[in-house]
Amino acid sequence: MAHLKTPLQGYLGYRGREGQTAFLLHRISGIGTALFLTIHILDTALVYFYPGLYEEAIGIYRTTLFGIAELFLVFLVIYHGINGLRIAGFDLFVPQRWNIPTARGSFRLTLILTLLLWLPAAAVMLYNLLHHNFGLFGG
Amino acid sequence: MRLTLKIFRYDPNTSAGPHYDRFQVEADPNDRVLDLLEAVRGDQDDTLSFRRSCAHGVCGSDAMRINGLNALACKVLVKDLNSDTIQIEPLLGLRVEKDLIVDMEPFFAHYRSILPYLINDEPLPEDGKERLQSEAERERFDDTTKCILCAACTTSCPSFWADGQTIGPAAIVNAHRFIFDSRDRGRLKRLKILAGQAGVWRCRTAFNCTEACPRDIHITRAIAEVKQEILKHS
Ligand code: FES
Repeated sequence: MAHLKTPLQGYLGYRGREGQTAFLLHRISGIGTALFLTIHILDTALVYFYPGLYEEAIGIYRTTLFGIAELFLVFLVIYHGINGLRIAGFDLFVPQRWNIPTARGSFRLTLILTLLLWLPAAAVMLYNLLHHNFGLFGG
Repeated sequence: MRLTLKIFRYDPNTSAGPHYDRFQVEADPNDRVLDLLEAVRGDQDDTLSFRRSCAHGVCGSDAMRINGLNALACKVLVKDLNSDTIQIEPLLGLRVEKDLIVDMEPFFAHYRSILPYLINDEPLPEDGKERLQSEAERERFDDTTKCILCAACTTSCPSFWADGQTIGPAAIVNAHRFIFDSRDRGRLKRLKILAGQAGVWRCRTAFNCTEACPRDIHITRAIAEVKQEILKHS
């Protein structure tokens, strides 16, 4: 555990700028997505091994808590993809353009793009959640 | 103006563990943080330990975390910090020896590992002793000649925090300085070292290094250029 102390101190205490935020979000979104995929693979495997349990697993996904978590998950997946493309784009094609203004600006652009792509998906998901779980919109 | 300095303290020879001490100091907005540290050591507590030498941003001995950001204490003006309390801590990721002094040896070991010297065993040109170079060839690595090895970049790097084995930005900058020097012949050796597990691929482009560099070196760019050079030669 001792070797976790320094990175945590840095992540939480170092006053990095957009780049550090981009890095942290990328980490969190990467771990979040990997975790979700693991759960997803496991529950789909239930179809084969314990079909009865599969229905129950899907039931859990339909709960409000999971619905809200999935909203965030979609944001993280989109962010992870766009930010990955941003970094690969600079590193592979225009390394000479890496500087403080382009790094800060491209991160802000990444966030804006993520939001733009996320909002329609979030609206649909939120609609479904309110419709099925709260009986709104004639549900 | 009256300021509070909150300074990290640690003395391995006493039983008190790591802690913070507060000192009140009278400061001019144009004072540098180094001036305040000197004032504390001179007037209030002569056991306070920190490194300094040139006091003008040249020697690189007084890099530390000032209000959570790596910088040279001799280059940070009080008025630019915009706060009544200034928190001063040692660099992160290197063992603290006493107060603000850290053990720089792992940092220099990484620096030495990239062969930071001109490698060229070819005979000297017949007409003289110098290996000549055009202005454009010299310009190619000008930016990375500016490093003063203060460690502000390497100790701001999340990959270095996670694992001190990471070679770190400063060593890569100094490798870049020779890799792109037309007179040097050690490029492949250095690229091989930097292509290793602890090398350039540990860069997550968090940009803390570039933001922290007191010499304004385009560090992340230099690292990306080395990445490309490795891809070209693999
Ligand atoms: S004392 Fe020399 S760089 Fe600050």
